[in-house]
Amino acid sequence: MSDHGSGPRAFADPVVDITDMYVFPSPQRPGTLVLVMNVFPSAGPTAFFSDAVDYRFRLRPVQIESSGPAAAFVVGDTEHRVTCRFATPAATKSGGPLAQKGTCTTSYGPSVSFLVNDAAGGETKGLKVFAGRRMDPFFFDGPRAGKTIATGKLSFEAVGLATTAHQNILSVIVEVDAASLTAQAQGPLLGVVSETVTQGGISARLERFGRPEIKNLLLMPMNHDTVNRAIELRDLYNQDDAFNLGKAYAGAYRSRLNGNLAFWDGLDGKTDWPLAANGTHPLTELLLADFMVVDVSKPFSEASTLEIEQAMLKGTPHQTCGGRPLNDDCMETFLTLLVNASKGPRISDGVDAAPTPAADSFPYLLPPEPNPPQVTLPPLNPAK
Amino acid sequence: MTATEKMPLSQPRAAADARAAKTSGVVALLNLEAQIDGQEARLAGGSLSAPEQNALIELVALRGHILGRIADYEWAAERADELCRSCAEDPLAWVTRARARARFHRFDQALADLEEARRLGADPCVINAERAEILQATGEYEEALVHFRESAERRADFATLGALATLYAERGEVTAAEQCFEASRSQYRGVSPIPLALLDFQRGHMWMVQGDMSRAHAWLKAAHDSLPGYAPAGGHLAEVEAKFGERDVAIDRLRTLAASSDDPDYAATLARILVEEDEEAARGWRAKAAARYDDLIERHPEAFSDHAAAFLLDVGEDPHRALAFARANLEVRKTPRAYDLVRRAERAAK
Repeated sequence: MSDHGSGPRAFADPVVDITDMYVFPSPQRPGTLVLVMNVFPSAGPTAFFSDAVDYRFRLRPVQIESSGPAAAFVVGDTEHRVTCRFATPAATKSGGPLAQKGTCTTSYGPSVSFLVNDAAGGETKGLKVFAGRRMDPFFFDGPRAGKTIATGKLSFEAVGLATTAHQNILSVIVEVDAASLTAQAQGPLLGVVSETVTQGGISARLERFGRPEIKNLLLMPMNHDTVNRAIELRDLYNQDDAFNLGKAYAGAYRSRLNGNLAFWDGLDGKTDWPLAANGTHPLTELLLADFMVVDVSKPFSEASTLEIEQAMLKGTPHQTCGGRPLNDDCMETFLTLLVNASKGPRISDGVDAAPTPAADSFPYLLPPEPNPPQVTLPPLNPAK
Repeated sequence: MTATEKMPLSQPRAAADARAAKTSGVVALLNLEAQIDGQEARLAGGSLSAPEQNALIELVALRGHILGRIADYEWAAERADELCRSCAEDPLAWVTRARARARFHRFDQALADLEEARRLGADPCVINAERAEILQATGEYEEALVHFRESAERRADFATLGALATLYAERGEVTAAEQCFEASRSQYRGVSPIPLALLDFQRGHMWMVQGDMSRAHAWLKAAHDSLPGYAPAGGHLAEVEAKFGERDVAIDRLRTLAASSDDPDYAATLARILVEEDEEAARGWRAKAAARYDDLIERHPEAFSDHAAAFLLDVGEDPHRALAFARANLEVRKTPRAYDLVRRAERAAK
């Protein structure tokens, strides 16, 4: 499911588990870029952000280096960061509920403080921030994707299982001034990754997110890997820099992606992505450049996920802002690209939208599901 | 040690810990609760897969350990039973139930579950690790040691070194245990304070058993500071504080624990500390502990005969029942502590 539980470390500590990232130009405020990082799958009402973790977005200028089958981006050296850091929750008055304060800083100047779960967020010139518990906007039939992997047959049904429906996450939502981010850039394209990293002397990367389902669909399954079928790669992958992939494990990632991409391609009984003589899948390098690409010169579009990459593969100019808007059925776009190179029928998982679509104004994500169904643990047994 | 012995002045490891950023214990506990709440909602909605149900059972059991909630252990055991019925072909379900049964010292049943998991194709490494935990709990240290050493030699990480440290600690090999505790700590890469607090608690407990109360205090306090509300650390810390003469601090701590936990150990310890200065209050806590031990012995005789015997030998003042429980305990776990308990009970019952 997108990036929910994307590795043993994420499972062990959900407060560092990035479930999703969305990047899109604000539908209502031209010139403003919206960055959304969600963590903590199925977060209950008492969830807080870690006070030992930086939740950050890294943005670099990117350019299209080549189009066609060998489509690739070249990444610029300048980098902007937008980082949120949270305090230890404290009661605002004696015996009162705990509240958590946060601060958002940027590498280009503005910073602002805010209170977690305050819908108004914090705002200063060129920067607006909300952080808190919200309804998970992701929609996808994860179990039937798992069944597809297990059986080797497309197992989606007309009516899918939206497994994250009505679940809540912790969200960091930032509006930034796009012009500030592209002042040094050669063009309007930005590559964006979100990361959770440790605070302290050495900033150790705990999780990263560039595109949805890279880890859970394409790096986790081992059976189609022709080099190793035993190593869990996702924690290693999470530690690598998306903009500058380390060499140590790159071969392992490539092998895993080649195997799994070929598996997805073959699910409709034909080959739309012929492998190179050395077994390399045409999408492997493009997806290993695992950052979300957005064109800040284009207006908001409801369905723009992967449009820039798909245009590159066709050798045509892209038409939209790319990135990833909240209500876009990006999983169907992604599956269709993998299975038939977007040349055949759309691959549907039977979940076309979230039960309640996200809003088109700040803070975009809906308030948390107020009354999730509960089972009740037995009360503490009183002494007889 | 006497009541006038000074409290330790420094806690070097606790100071060192402060350099490495960890999520505050308050957040970690609230997030554990949030994790459980979120998964329970999905369970109620019918969208929790079998592996996720296994994970939820382990989370609830972890909360049970941290907060001293036997009700959580019971919920975990009932849920594991249900999972084995509904997912009888899932080896992980049997591993989860083996863990749940081992928590209540139903070791033979736990071993049978592990065998079933093995038959269904569970990862042999997982089975062997679980089996070694049971061997340790039942006092078969040599065989457990072979496994834990092999695991740590194969991959020396936080978990394998921590398991080896705990076994050395239980065997009383403190030098080897200290080396492994230290090595385990150095391998920790996460930001959650929970695994470290659990490790530090084991280290503090080792020094307590060894009678080095300064070291015990340092490690138990480190565990409790990094995870406030960690009941077993708080309970043992109170015992050490009482031995250092900090009775008021200890009593406050134990009163809170006795009220929040359904484990009678805290009421029993409180009764023992209070008995010299406030006999009436001590009687009340003793009665509360006795009733709760009776209740638990009825439901989980294997798990609570040990602590009930210790209670009855002490403020419970019933050495004959203590002897019966101590012997029952020795039937299921032949540890040095179990033998010692029987010897003490036999002497007291004469």
